[in-house]
Amino acid sequence: MPTKDVSGDRISKFKNKGKDPAKRREKRITECVELRKAQKHDSFLKRRNITLSSLPDEEALSPHKDLVGYKLEDIVLDVNSDSIEAQTRGCQAARKLLSKCHDPPMKEIIDAGLLARFVSFLSLDDEPALQFEAAWALTNIASGASWCTQQVVEHGAVPAFIDLLASPMLHISEQAVWALGNIAGDGPVYRDVLIECNVIPALLAHFSPDTPVGYLRNLTWTLSNLCRNKNPYPPLSAVQQLLPPLIQLFHLCDKDILCDACWAISYLTDGSNDRIDIIVKTGLLPRLVELMSHEEFRVVTPALRAIGNIVSGSDLHTQLTIDAGVLNVLPKLLRHKKATLQKEAMWTLSNIAAGHCKQIQQLITCGLLPPLVEALRNGDFKTQKEAVWAVTNFTCGGTAEQVVQLVQSGALEAILDLLQVNDAKVILIILEAINNIFTAAGKLGETKKLSLLIEELGGLERMELLQSHENDLVYQAAQNLIETFFSNDDAD
Amino acid sequence: MFVTDIRKDFYEVVANQRVALMVATDIDALCACKILQALFHCDHIQYTLVPVTGWQELCTAFLEHKEQFRYFVLINCGANVDLLEMLQPDDDSIFFICDTHRPVDVVNVYNDTQIKLLIKQDDDLDVPSYDDIFRDEEDEDGGDSGNESDEGSEPSEKRRRFDEAAIERRIERQRARREWEARRREILFDYEQYEYHGTSAAMMFFELAWVLTKDTKDMLWWAVIGLTDQWVHDKITHIKYVTDIATMQRHVSRHNHRNEDEENSLSIDCMRISFEYDLRLTLYQHWSLYESICNSCYTSCSFKLWTLNGQKKLQEYLADMGLPLKQVKQKFNSMDVSIKENLREVIEESSNKYGMKDIRIQTFSVHFGFKNRFLASDMVHAASALLESAEKEESNTTDNFIKALDSLSRSNLERLHSGIDLAKRKLLAIQQTVASCLCTNLILSQGPFLYCYLLEGTPDVKLFSKPLALTLLCKYLLRAFVHSTRNKRCKLLPLIMAAPKDVEKGTVIVVGIPPESETSDKKNFFGRAFEKAAESTSSRTLHDHFDTSIIELKTEDRSKFLDALITLLS
Repeated sequence: MPTKDVSGDRISKFKNKGKDPAKRREKRITECVELRKAQKHDSFLKRRNITLSSLPDEEALSPHKDLVGYKLEDIVLDVNSDSIEAQTRGCQAARKLLSKCHDPPMKEIIDAGLLARFVSFLSLDDEPALQFEAAWALTNIASGASWCTQQVVEHGAVPAFIDLLASPMLHISEQAVWALGNIAGDGPVYRDVLIECNVIPALLAHFSPDTPVGYLRNLTWTLSNLCRNKNPYPPLSAVQQLLPPLIQLFHLCDKDILCDACWAISYLTDGSNDRIDIIVKTGLLPRLVELMSHEEFRVVTPALRAIGNIVSGSDLHTQLTIDAGVLNVLPKLLRHKKATLQKEAMWTLSNIAAGHCKQIQQLITCGLLPPLVEALRNGDFKTQKEAVWAVTNFTCGGTAEQVVQLVQSGALEAILDLLQVNDAKVILIILEAINNIFTAAGKLGETKKLSLLIEELGGLERMELLQSHENDLVYQAAQNLIETFFSNDDAD
Repeated sequence: MFVTDIRKDFYEVVANQRVALMVATDIDALCACKILQALFHCDHIQYTLVPVTGWQELCTAFLEHKEQFRYFVLINCGANVDLLEMLQPDDDSIFFICDTHRPVDVVNVYNDTQIKLLIKQDDDLDVPSYDDIFRDEEDEDGGDSGNESDEGSEPSEKRRRFDEAAIERRIERQRARREWEARRREILFDYEQYEYHGTSAAMMFFELAWVLTKDTKDMLWWAVIGLTDQWVHDKITHIKYVTDIATMQRHVSRHNHRNEDEENSLSIDCMRISFEYDLRLTLYQHWSLYESICNSCYTSCSFKLWTLNGQKKLQEYLADMGLPLKQVKQKFNSMDVSIKENLREVIEESSNKYGMKDIRIQTFSVHFGFKNRFLASDMVHAASALLESAEKEESNTTDNFIKALDSLSRSNLERLHSGIDLAKRKLLAIQQTVASCLCTNLILSQGPFLYCYLLEGTPDVKLFSKPLALTLLCKYLLRAFVHSTRNKRCKLLPLIMAAPKDVEKGTVIVVGIPPESETSDKKNFFGRAFEKAAESTSSRTLHDHFDTSIIELKTEDRSKFLDALITLLS
């Protein structure tokens, strides 16, 4: 029997139980359903006396009744026949199979030797229907594993698709854009193969203000895939070709386009300073900063990533970003409800804090200290980690007066609290920050006062505990601090 | 899932196991427990008995026993929540649930592995069909196009183009699914809207004993008490009561017939159960007739004994029967035998004149030896009083539970008599409280329901902090109110009653009962209403009782809770 005495707050606790169980109930129901499903499924199979095979889903083919019972063998026969009509029929059937949601038979179609035929159909400018079906089928095969993409490329699809880009039929051209995107997305090797084949100017054949948005979305994504991947980076010449269209896309307002365009920029800025330099010089920083406050989370994420990349460049890059107004939008992102965004924003801030003292001053002036301290206190752990970096960078490059301001804003107390975390690396960074703060205090002749403050805040106690830390570096650093700044108590 | 063969799928499963028996604190559960104990005793099945007063205790008890036990038998608790969700047991814990609470949670119904419901499927359940509330997810998930990357993560490197027709079909399917979900919500809402009770747990286990051919007269008597508890505490409809009485009567005749040869004559240790068409006068054989008439709900309400006029009518009624007041006011046992001989007929005749056509009711009585005769309802009142006894300052639930359990054994008549004494006090207290509530107009019409709040400091307020006592008070009060009010609309309203629960913690206990009527279906919607009202006002409530229409509430949240309830039900 449980005891009768249960504290008063149990009432509220019990009431709140109502919500969480809803979720757990869902889980139970799912489990229950799964059990049933398994049983049901068995009986279903027995009743119909069928086995699981790769037969095409009847439903998928139903719009064309003449395709019912149409098997892979029939497709092969049709595609290999001499009749355009049969070829189109076969190609469409294959495309439909490849467009199923589940288990598209990519390997079966490749193994049936259909790719060479499909690629040859791409050049039949007089048969747009067949061209389109073949392009779609090849697009979907290229969307598969690397091996599938490789099969497509090795059957000569790259030049064929590049030629197809010029098709006067927009939907066919768009399908070619899509297929090339898949090939570029496979990795740096095929990306560079495409660039070698002069894919970039060809892609822009239909790029105009009147181009339908669907086409532009596909185009933006394909362009972003051409910017993507390191080891090696895309050739600089290609980057120079890619930037003008990207910047134009950057000023549209479609979310999907903006999202992919921002990702493209984030790929391009993820490199050495000279690559960052090329991007910054295009003058897109203000727009990028503007997009950091976009209502769409999908746009904000890559914009912030790109900005983060840029401020990790030279002091000049950082200064240009500050000038573009990044410090005004960061506070909101530092308090964003999504932890991943918080973390990226804090990473950006930590890189700005690594700048020279004038930049640090701007950081203070723009009111970044309160959100920084908030994050140190209550942030998600990954955000806290970045915030600790920000403090250490700040104390390293800031003037003594700036460091005093940091301490007064509550950052010292917050990082002392974080000395309890179970992460040696974070602790080492914090100890470094403390050391930096002592250096600043030394310049102002307030070492003693700082020691007392740290002791008051419980920091000394925590550092003493760290002397028994398993990590030698932590132990060393803590001991050094204590010996240097806290041992002259005996003299008093 | 429902157990269809209770012998094979329940009894033979636990036969060689250790069983944890979790028993709710109501009389039907106690009786069911007695029957099961007797069976377990007979077959040397080891068990541990744990009384549980609410969900919290059930959870704690489960946590304490889950390591040692695999089989749990829950009596009059567990059916009306998703038990697995609440207890989070390991996969090998098995729960046998014999519970009268309806509706049975649908997950309990459709779980085939861990939940075994000892509930008759023909018991007016109306469970929604599986396909209406659960849906296999086959085509739904995974059907999402790979094009849409997770919000905020990098876009996919490659994208496949899907068939537009397929996409349209998916949209169509999604719409169908939304419609299905809306329908599901509606079905579940209808299903879970009202709380009510099914066949007595004691009767269920008696049936088991019968199937095993191990049924005894004691077991039969407990089953009768279990059923009578449902009637006394107003849990089942009149029709259900009469039907189940008929079932019990068949068993009674069978037993009486079987034993005719061996013990047809009364002896000191014999037990004889008989069907009676007896008086609806509570405890009259253990009281004076006069006191019983004054303190029985049926008579007291009919006469309106809280009024002067009512008292006058009572005197006329007694005179009409031609019973000397001296005889009527002395102990029933000491009344003249000549008067007692055809007392029931005499009372019935006069009662008819006074508009009490239902003064007699089908019930059972038991003879223990020569001297002791008890009506089934006497047993219920006595055991309930013991179960909620607040005799000692720190009354212990387990102690009370054991005492109440003991009072049901014929070997422990002393305990039973002490229970009867407590029951008399309780009935007196109820009667007085009803009278004072009516005379001081404490029953307020709140629009969609009547409301009565017992103030701290009311006599016997402590007694009514207990669920059974408060429920009984509620029932008496509503009946009395319906008899006394002239407002026709108010006669059709349900009643909510609140009484101080724990002064230190500042909580009240709140009970809601359905409207009073002869043909009432006894379906109670207050459970859901309380939940919603508490949610919308974030009142600090504790929904711990197995009856969802009984809750605890912080005293200071009372008014906002009530306001929400009025809005909700208007």
